[in-house]
Amino acid sequence: MSFWEVTLSLLRGLGTTGRLFFLTLLFALPLGLLICMASTSRFAPLRWLTKTVVWVVRGSPLMLQILIVYYGPGLVFGWPLLPRFIAALVTFAINYACYFSEIYRGGIQSIPRGQYEAGQVLGLTRSQVFFKVTLLQLVKRIVPPMGNEFITLVKDTALARVIMVYEIIWIGESYIKKGMMWPLFYTAVFYLIANGVLTVLLNKFEKKLDYFKA
Amino acid sequence: MKRVLVLALALVACLLVLGLAACGNTSKSDLDYVKKNGKIVVGITDFAPMDYEKTEGSGEWIGFDADMAKKFGEYLGVDVEFLEINWGTKATTLETKEIDVVWNGMTITDEVKGLMGVSEPYCMNAQVVVMKQDIAADYTTKESLNTLTFAVEDGSAGAKALDELNIAYTACDDQAKALMEVASGSSQACVIDLLMAGAMIGEGTSYPTLTTTVELTSEEYGVGFRKESDLIAKFNEFWKKAYDDGTVMQVATTYGIAQNIIEK
Repeated sequence: MSFWEVTLSLLRGLGTTGRLFFLTLLFALPLGLLICMASTSRFAPLRWLTKTVVWVVRGSPLMLQILIVYYGPGLVFGWPLLPRFIAALVTFAINYACYFSEIYRGGIQSIPRGQYEAGQVLGLTRSQVFFKVTLLQLVKRIVPPMGNEFITLVKDTALARVIMVYEIIWIGESYIKKGMMWPLFYTAVFYLIANGVLTVLLNKFEKKLDYFKA
Repeated sequence: MKRVLVLALALVACLLVLGLAACGNTSKSDLDYVKKNGKIVVGITDFAPMDYEKTEGSGEWIGFDADMAKKFGEYLGVDVEFLEINWGTKATTLETKEIDVVWNGMTITDEVKGLMGVSEPYCMNAQVVVMKQDIAADYTTKESLNTLTFAVEDGSAGAKALDELNIAYTACDDQAKALMEVASGSSQACVIDLLMAGAMIGEGTSYPTLTTTVELTSEEYGVGFRKESDLIAKFNEFWKKAYDDGTVMQVATTYGIAQNIIEK
């Protein structure tokens, strides 16, 4: 096995990792906002239900959640299973949406109350205030904590290997059984590059939002 | 420099071995040697359910092989001492008399037979196909397997057996995961080894609905002695007796490997 063959096979694994990453964000970002709204809702039962879900999802290991989502239906009810990748995606999206919801909440609640009151005085509705006044300030405030989560997500995708989603770490590990140790450690390079690019992009995005001196 | 050092060391080692061999006690009977010592030293590794420590670090070894070794000691009228060995150098350890017997679920291969004297096989292991009971009746031959979806430990003997049959499979991290694949319906069948199957599936386990079907490859376990040792005959005699009076099966049942014992 030459260096290039290993690199190519790891790149294929990185493809799976990348797909999992982007699709998770695609679903988790809006879902997080939804959960955030529900957890700050004025309807108490909904608020408590959401908070319980967030507690369970944030409070239990992600790896366990993946196993439960994938094997659970078959083991407990004998139902047909989701495809492996989809099961991983569903788990990641729900898990990260819960973390995102708290970041959104932090962002929303950090906007001074006075702005809402001012909006009301000017005759704007609650949603008008949210979309026209607070939303962009909020985006700027949540970029750093969100960046943290994005970077964590890149690495967390490795957990999908517990249900045999053949992402980059799985492929790296499979070389150990062929007597090669280095491909597993070599995978770190791919993660570092991916997270390097991500960090640069996040910094650029933050700079673009600089015109808010909030 | 390094190479010179290694060569020098190798030379010294050779001389030492030669010297020991020359002046060592060349009494032919291993049986007498063991009896004179008052103990038989059994070479093992940590390998459940054959040899393992009762509690980690206690130094008290149990398991099918360990328990039978204790009974062999009784039979010979000597004490039994267990010594953890480096599995790769078991034949050397035996020759240098650090141990008197290798008794640790050792697969009998031509290589092993060339290096040491081996007892009659006492136990067998096999790569077996495991599936749910309700479909097991339809898959009783190797040829019928290729329509099934398989899960198997990546790089295991089971995976090699499937490769030879040209059957595709999902590679899992270990045998336990392969069983979970089958139990959940994610794969229809898996290949694991018989020892493991005995302990992990069937009534009284987490997988009561799974069963073993076709055997893909099999191997036999034997006990290793020094070449041409008279202990080999003694062992075979002991084993036959222990098998006949039910001791072997009783111990095997304790460790869940009754299905692996070779009939005598």
